Amino acid sequence: MRYEFDWGLLWREPYFGWIVEGVLTTFHLALLAWVLALCLGIVIGVLRVTNSRVLRAIGTTYVEIFRNIPLIVQLFLWLYVVPQMLPREFSFWWNRLDNVPYWTAMIGISFYTSARLAEQIRSALRAIPPGQFKAGLSTGLTQVQVYRYVIVPYALRIIIPALTSEFLTVFKNTALALTIGVIEITATTRRIEAWSFRGIEAYTVASLTYIATTILVILFMSWLERRYQIPGLIKRGEARV
Amino acid sequence: MSQPIIRVENVGLRFDSFVALDDVSLAVNAGQCIVICGPSGSGKSTLLRCINGLERFQKGDVWVDGVSVRGCQDLPKLRRGVGMVFQHFELYPHMTVLENITLAPIKAKGLSRKQAEDLAFHYLDRVGIVDQAQKHPGRLSGGQQQRAAIARALALEPKAMLFDEPTSALDPEMIAEVLYVMRDLAQGGMTMLVVTHEMGFAREVADEVIFMDRGRIVEHAPVDEFFSTPRAERTREFLNKILLKL
Repeated sequence: MRYEFDWGLLWREPYFGWIVEGVLTTFHLALLAWVLALCLGIVIGVLRVTNSRVLRAIGTTYVEIFRNIPLIVQLFLWLYVVPQMLPREFSFWWNRLDNVPYWTAMIGISFYTSARLAEQIRSALRAIPPGQFKAGLSTGLTQVQVYRYVIVPYALRIIIPALTSEFLTVFKNTALALTIGVIEITATTRRIEAWSFRGIEAYTVASLTYIATTILVILFMSWLERRYQIPGLIKRGEARV
Repeated sequence: MSQPIIRVENVGLRFDSFVALDDVSLAVNAGQCIVICGPSGSGKSTLLRCINGLERFQKGDVWVDGVSVRGCQDLPKLRRGVGMVFQHFELYPHMTVLENITLAPIKAKGLSRKQAEDLAFHYLDRVGIVDQAQKHPGRLSGGQQQRAAIARALALEPKAMLFDEPTSALDPEMIAEVLYVMRDLAQGGMTMLVVTHEMGFAREVADEVIFMDRGRIVEHAPVDEFFSTPRAERTREFLNKILLKL
């Protein structure tokens, strides 16, 4: 291959500034989307196991809508279709926001992810012995309190490994935000390539950003898993007896 | 005579076509210990769950300290007044023993953490496992877990305690330590309704014994009478089976 590498390019302005901004955008987009997705996912997951038929139907509808439409289509829907269906005053306000594509991407990614999370959480909730719920109620906790303090914390501990892969997925899915105009790290590398014709260097930056971050996340999550393992119930590397 | 702590009147409950409880009535007075026995599926556990509103019944009503369970607007408050102990302990495995005990006093009753912990240590001491307070349930023996569960129920300072086969999931050695705690409670004047097959416990501690079969109370008698001169044929048959273990 006859190609002269110019890694120094990445440290020069304006490219360096772009990269920093792109990496930061990816980070906070992923984090915000993740936090929102986790909150929504827990609520929807709980709805799907309640006794109320109406609540279960709401949960199921939500999950089936948001996990069965490709994420990229959902992003376009959120950007072009949804604002037109909302009240006039709201779309005026919305369109005047500074960073419409950014907020759109955040909403789209988190709704999509929350549907997937809700399914994981639902299966974890169903794995918890029903006696736990009765025990909580029998001590005078309300249903909401039993979920809040007993069932959900228990369920989350069971599914930490699954949450890890979901977070990695969210993180990498943020790359799709470039299709609706968010300048995150992937969009930044395309821009650098367009300006400098240095595609290899540019895409290396994006790839390294994703790999380095995901490895850090994996390390953090395995620490979290050890920290919150339930003593005597689930041990690392040991089957449950 | 003052009114009973727990009064069950003509309670009937069916799951589809299966009759779980059929016209069940009983009363537990303050300080009384009543043992319920009977074959599995006879409705003993279901009856206990009706008393603290964990199970809805179709007929009759239950009064706990004068409050009707059927018409109860504040079930959590009613349930706080009735401690419940389960066959499989049902401690929360992700919390320490101390957190297990203090959760409801803090969140449901509104005590401060300090007050709740003082209470917890008091009752842990009473059931003899103060030294296990900071451990998770998974690190305790079955007998210790059940004693922790008893302490959890006691920490709400209930007017009565319901025990649902508290020793059925335990090794023989550990049964004794749990029964000891229960006897201590009964002698301390706690009002108790105990579902168990430990006839030794019934004979020694109970004031009255109830025998249930197919959702009905077949026999309800003072403890001496129950063992010496059971009236119903079905009771004799049951007692012969479980007392003469050959």
